[in-house]
Amino acid sequence: MNTLLAVIIGAVTVYLAYTLYARRIDRHVIQSDPKRATPATLYMDGVDFMPTNRNILFGYHFKSIAAAGPIVGAIVAASLWGWLPAIIWLVLGVSFIGWASDYSAIVISVRNEGNSLSAIAHRLVSPRARTILFIFIFFYLLLVAGAFVGIMATVLESQPRTQLGVIVLTVMGLLLGQMLYRWRMGLVGATVLTVGVTMLAILGGAWTEEIFKSLNTGLNNLAGGAPIVTYFDPTLANFKGADAKIMPSLLFWALAICAFCYAGSVLPIWRMAQPVVYVGFWLTATAMVLGLVGAAAASFVKPEVAQFVIPAFKGFNPQLGPAGIMPLWPMLFVTIACGAISGWHALFGAVGTARQIENEADMLPVGGGSMLTEFLLGLLALLAVSVGAKGAPVGAFATGLGGFISVWGVPIQYATSLAFAAFIVIVLVVTQLLFRVQRVTLSEWLGDVIPPVRNQHVASLVSIALAILLVLTGTWVYLWQLFGGANQLMAALSLLLVTVWLSSVGKNWLYAGLPAVFMYVTTLASLLVTAYNIYVNVYQPNMAAGRVIPVIGSGLMVLVALLLVAAAVIIGIDGWRAFQRYRHRPVQQPRPAAVRV
Amino acid sequence: MLTERLARVRAAIAGFVYGLTGYEFARHALEMRHEMETVFMVVTMGDLVGVPVLPPIYSLRLLPYVVPEVATWKRHVARPREFWDKDEYDLHGL
Repeated sequence: MNTLLAVIIGAVTVYLAYTLYARRIDRHVIQSDPKRATPATLYMDGVDFMPTNRNILFGYHFKSIAAAGPIVGAIVAASLWGWLPAIIWLVLGVSFIGWASDYSAIVISVRNEGNSLSAIAHRLVSPRARTILFIFIFFYLLLVAGAFVGIMATVLESQPRTQLGVIVLTVMGLLLGQMLYRWRMGLVGATVLTVGVTMLAILGGAWTEEIFKSLNTGLNNLAGGAPIVTYFDPTLANFKGADAKIMPSLLFWALAICAFCYAGSVLPIWRMAQPVVYVGFWLTATAMVLGLVGAAAASFVKPEVAQFVIPAFKGFNPQLGPAGIMPLWPMLFVTIACGAISGWHALFGAVGTARQIENEADMLPVGGGSMLTEFLLGLLALLAVSVGAKGAPVGAFATGLGGFISVWGVPIQYATSLAFAAFIVIVLVVTQLLFRVQRVTLSEWLGDVIPPVRNQHVASLVSIALAILLVLTGTWVYLWQLFGGANQLMAALSLLLVTVWLSSVGKNWLYAGLPAVFMYVTTLASLLVTAYNIYVNVYQPNMAAGRVIPVIGSGLMVLVALLLVAAAVIIGIDGWRAFQRYRHRPVQQPRPAAVRV
Repeated sequence: MLTERLARVRAAIAGFVYGLTGYEFARHALEMRHEMETVFMVVTMGDLVGVPVLPPIYSLRLLPYVVPEVATWKRHVARPREFWDKDEYDLHGL
């Protein structure tokens, strides 16, 4: 297998899924009508409801859904099961489920006056469905924040070459916000300056490598070279498990990330979160575009970086830890999350994008098209890790992506630096946003019962502390799989809602119903498997060794998994009842649609 | 024919790139403007929300400037919304 063939497979998948399946569903099942007025045109308020050109909305929606999720999932899955199962699930998942989930979420919102999924669930399924969706959001955020902080701290601490770039990125993000919103400078000039400086800092990271290495050494010497926390990590020693040690330098970088996230969470959005994301976007987009085209061209220009070097298939049940199980079904289907299907896309696509759809004919290119394009991002991550094969999964990804970028004549060490930085930046900028939404969720959920969490500083600190507690279990792979389970389960619930809605309006519900059942069963099974794995691989060994913090962290993870299962069972029962109710009811004729003039 | 098609493709790419880059700043600027307008409206046109905050003379003098915005403004402030609405568009990439 080589990268050119994989890129061709990806392009053919996108073409076939869009033209043969998605368009058919759009025409014959949804029957999108360009003459029907959309909520954006009916309720235009100049802010949220705003008719927007489809090309602009495509770019906006794609940027909103594409970042760290599809990259991390593909990296982990390829390292556990090999590249073949990963690529098969990416292709089949996005073709039959992924685009349908994103597209349908926009459709159901557009056809329901721009209401959010939770509001529609409240009306169509049951009042408690909305509350349960709310619980999902909170724990989803907690899990993904824990997974991202864990991986970020490890990568940053072990890659002193990238640390200057991250610091400069933060400064340039703050500067960009000031330039745009306070000094009223033009976007193009401000972009060139801030992105250019950050790029130079990333490429020049090698010059400051020794300084940051000295800093790490100095921090570790403060504690006499002794670890702060020791825990049993089942992912070490080639997945056989070993004791891991948290050194002061790792804690320092974890706290630095938390400080960054705290600032992103509490400062006005224009001051930090938005401009940092924007600068980070240019860096990662540059690396990804160069990488994707480089992957296609590598077979001709630089064949040595185009050949897959990891095994195609590593077995149905690879070992991860001394005990526990990691069966291909259901675990692969939650490990590769956003590149194939994501519930988060549906949840927020229904609120943000659906209210800007100008024309019903735009729903498919914007919703389905963006998801199919995101699949290419997941595919690129899979290719990079498949040709990289050097060191840990993230290192292999950076080596592989660096190889693709080097096709353009960039020296390999700079290309790898850029690839590493792209990964770190894409995860880092998402993490600060996670904490931002998590503190809003926490305030909303517990604000009435525990008034102090209404304070944004308290809510942010509580969110960060909970994530750190999860990180201290030391097993971010399990955290990632729990996140994947919550995320895919949310996708199943959104498809379930779409199925109920299609049934309520007398349309063929199979294109959403079958994927909903598959994802529902798969994700419930994956949550139970992950809870079992955490218990036998993390909780028990650390309990036996009398380590309090890892025991609390892993115990919390097991509880979260079981809570998500219970919530999903309840909403599944409610959804089934609603489905049966609408199926056996005479179809109500919809109100005549408003027609645009 | 070919020129027209190329122009369409160029416009589509320009729109896509704008959606990827500058559009979120434009949206956020609009949000900030609406927040200020809301404060302005409530202070000067309290009658609209049933709160007579200032003497009507100010309202009457400002009314001609406000009338074109009243319909969209009322739709914006009176709409039921989720608690995460304000932050949702910032949660990129999951």
